[in-house]
Amino acid sequence: MATLDQPLDLSSDPPRWRRPNFLLIVCVAIGLWLVLVPLAGLLLTAFTEDTGLGFGAFTLDNFVEAYSGARLLRLIGNSVIYAAGTAIVTFVIGGFVAWAVERTDAPGAMLFHNLALLSFAIPGLLMAMAWIFVLSPNIGWVNAVLKSTLGLKNAPFNIYSMTGMIWSLSSHYFPLAYLALGPALRALDVRMEEAGLVSGGRYWQVVPKITLPLLRPAILSGLLLLFIMGLSSYEVPRVIGLPARIEVFTTRIQNAAIETPPEFGVASALSLLLLVVCLIAVYFYRRATRNAEAFATITGKGYMPTRIELGRWRWPVSIAILLMFAITLGLPLFTLAWQSFFSNLSQPFMNSPPKATLANYAYILRYPIFIDAVRTSVVVSAMAATVVVALTMVMAWVARRSASRFAWLLDALASAPIAIPSVIVGASILFTYLVIPIGVYGTIWILLIAYVTLSLPYGMRFASSGITQIHRELEEVAEVSGARTGQVLRRVLLPLLLPFLLAAWIYVFVLSVRELGASIFLVGPGVNVLATISLTMWEEGGSYGAVAALGVIQILPLLVIVAGLRFLETRVQRHSRGGAAKAAAG
Amino acid sequence: MFTIENLQKSYVANGAEVRAVDGISLDVETGKLITLLGPSGCGKTTTLRCLAGLERPQSGRIVIGNRTVFDSAKRIFVPASDRGIGMVFQSYAIWPHMTVFENVAFPLRVARKKKYSAAQITERVARMLDMVQLTGYAQRQATQLSGGQQQRLAFARGLVHEPAILLLDEPLSNLDAKLREQMRLELKRLQRTLGITTVYVTHDQSEALALSDEIAVFDTGRIVQRGTPQQIYRQPKTPFVADFVGSANFLPGTVRGSDGDLTAVDTAHGVMRCTFAEPIGAGMKAFVTARPEDITLYDGAGAPAGANTLKGTIVNRVFLGEVVDYIVDLGDRELRARVRSDDFQIGQSVTLGVPPQKCVGLAG
Repeated sequence: MATLDQPLDLSSDPPRWRRPNFLLIVCVAIGLWLVLVPLAGLLLTAFTEDTGLGFGAFTLDNFVEAYSGARLLRLIGNSVIYAAGTAIVTFVIGGFVAWAVERTDAPGAMLFHNLALLSFAIPGLLMAMAWIFVLSPNIGWVNAVLKSTLGLKNAPFNIYSMTGMIWSLSSHYFPLAYLALGPALRALDVRMEEAGLVSGGRYWQVVPKITLPLLRPAILSGLLLLFIMGLSSYEVPRVIGLPARIEVFTTRIQNAAIETPPEFGVASALSLLLLVVCLIAVYFYRRATRNAEAFATITGKGYMPTRIELGRWRWPVSIAILLMFAITLGLPLFTLAWQSFFSNLSQPFMNSPPKATLANYAYILRYPIFIDAVRTSVVVSAMAATVVVALTMVMAWVARRSASRFAWLLDALASAPIAIPSVIVGASILFTYLVIPIGVYGTIWILLIAYVTLSLPYGMRFASSGITQIHRELEEVAEVSGARTGQVLRRVLLPLLLPFLLAAWIYVFVLSVRELGASIFLVGPGVNVLATISLTMWEEGGSYGAVAALGVIQILPLLVIVAGLRFLETRVQRHSRGGAAKAAAG
Repeated sequence: MFTIENLQKSYVANGAEVRAVDGISLDVETGKLITLLGPSGCGKTTTLRCLAGLERPQSGRIVIGNRTVFDSAKRIFVPASDRGIGMVFQSYAIWPHMTVFENVAFPLRVARKKKYSAAQITERVARMLDMVQLTGYAQRQATQLSGGQQQRLAFARGLVHEPAILLLDEPLSNLDAKLREQMRLELKRLQRTLGITTVYVTHDQSEALALSDEIAVFDTGRIVQRGTPQQIYRQPKTPFVADFVGSANFLPGTVRGSDGDLTAVDTAHGVMRCTFAEPIGAGMKAFVTARPEDITLYDGAGAPAGANTLKGTIVNRVFLGEVVDYIVDLGDRELRARVRSDDFQIGQSVTLGVPPQKCVGLAG
């Protein structure tokens, strides 16, 4: 009876029983398309004959060709040594920095943190090239300086070696190890250590018995993540490994794809193997991070991390870290900048250099392909950032708030690309859209698809952490106050999430501008991006000066953008800390 | 005025089905304040959220005013935004990106049934802020308010659109003890003035007793007793209610027989006379409950005739200021007695006296 004599205008607003969750369906569909369609294309390509266009008859020949012979074993060996070596070296350096910054009173913690973040701005390709300018046996100036001062016959360092490759990548990635370990060290409740000390343990007993076991999940997951990133890395193997004849999966896959005739099938078969290795690593990574939650080391408000007082070791530790940054970051950047002012090879501290010139910059800025590539890079990266931020915000919101039992699918789909090396993303997108006739092949749109796919996990992480920090009741009270879903999103969620979205946008933008591994498959006549023209200029004999100038021109704006991101981040932190302090006080 | 009929809501947690709300029925008259009281996980908050439309029950019926907002049989579900309710959350959920004014104005700005002009909004918000004594704070950023002020702001926001019912989810639990007591009085005054039907969820029994017209005590998804605060406190129907609302001492025994209003129960410590809400047959198992504050301590054998008496030794004393809690060992169990005198010492033998009218018998 109550339903019949309602005074309210039900005609315009019929009570809905259960409406399908359109947002969820749309998000899952997009995620499935981005992640699964290229992988399906990859699978099909691997199991069919190469016909040049479209899929041929079923065959296993691709696997036979790709997997037979000692070459595969060497490939696996090289890839694993390279990735594991990088993981270990970055971890030792990054772990030391994290310990000093988070657990000791060594001065300069803020500076080190900022330097670590800034290193993210430098494209991997330029870093690898810069190390060649520093440590190549022929042109590396550090080798030249050491040879002449120590009177050596041979160059002491050879960048064209496995050690050189590992060093080159580690110098670029160790800040990531620091960033991965830092939060765990910060979150580690110092009272757990103190309880050990109070029970009569010495610091050197407490560290291995209490601190390290508590950090084990963080250490394990960090190592695995860096291992995966090492396996996926393409720039160093391409510029250093190729001349050194050290082949890894990523370069071998790319090689197979550009052979004449192209061996897409072989490239796919190799990709599948690399993918399996990455998936196994991701599986263990997930297990490690899942266990991390069981180690409830974060205990919320009310504790001040007490730091180890280093005493007279304060400055030595600090200087050691500063030196580390000077060598890993300063040395290559300085070299690149130096070289950019001379057209011929010029080694600093050797002989007397010729007159410095700005001719290289003038040359690059007038180089027609450069202007074109800048436009494409900026436009596509901005579009990718916008799409990823919008998509992952909705995905994260639905995943966190939806009661549907399929919501977890969104998380899984959005974070899947972390296990897919960019080279495979590029290759599979190429193979797929060659066949799917929607006209994106050879346009900037295929780059957009690749960048969006590659950046999904990072966008999702920003959006998720943002939404997790916004108390659910803030949305619920808006709903109870009479706001529709759209109004809740627009008037409450969006303004609160804005800093996170902005940070995600910048992050994805920089990531896309730097991108090489996928781009190299997808650029073509008339469509170039900064990373690919840099590689072309390097390999096809542009002058050293022009190549260096091209690098500097890319790095400077990226540094400014990342510094902006950092500024934004500190503001967000201060904001949320202020809010938390108020809530605690109230 | 709302009615809940046979509400069921269960979750799947860790593979097992949890019946958060297991057949709740409740009806409340206009202008009353009802408290849903119970320990955490008893289903009181889930019931409130079902009423608000923030959770979707599996089955049952909810009518607010004369409008059915949920009916599983007729497949009706009115979303929270259309139920015309006001709600105050435990965290207050004050939007940090808005000013105090904008927080209160929000329900008016998104209202669909009626469009408010800018002047109307300003006037109404000002009136609400006046009522909760936040005049002059309108242009402050909401995060600049203290805890107590944020709480009052949350009330203003919950009431500004003149909701049919007001839902309060442990609104006082984040305040410190002094402020909580003050807000309790203010809340009662506000609710009386506006005459708004209010549902109050809390696990704090003293809050429930102080505020409510009626209390519904929840346990594991069901309402175990409903009544006025006096009834709940003085005539608990189950050991759970007796223990949860106030604390109670329990003595198990066997019913011997009734004599008028009083029933005699044989316990290990002698015959105790007490009142049973419903008649109980001789030979039945039962508990005799006595509240600590109803117990008087006597040195030696000084208890007046007619009182239930027990003998024991003081094993501990807790000085609480106005009163002192003594733990008395009876041999097989300990009782708590709350008295004003702090003359008794640990180790002293005492007699405990309880008037039979204050002893409640519960079927065991």
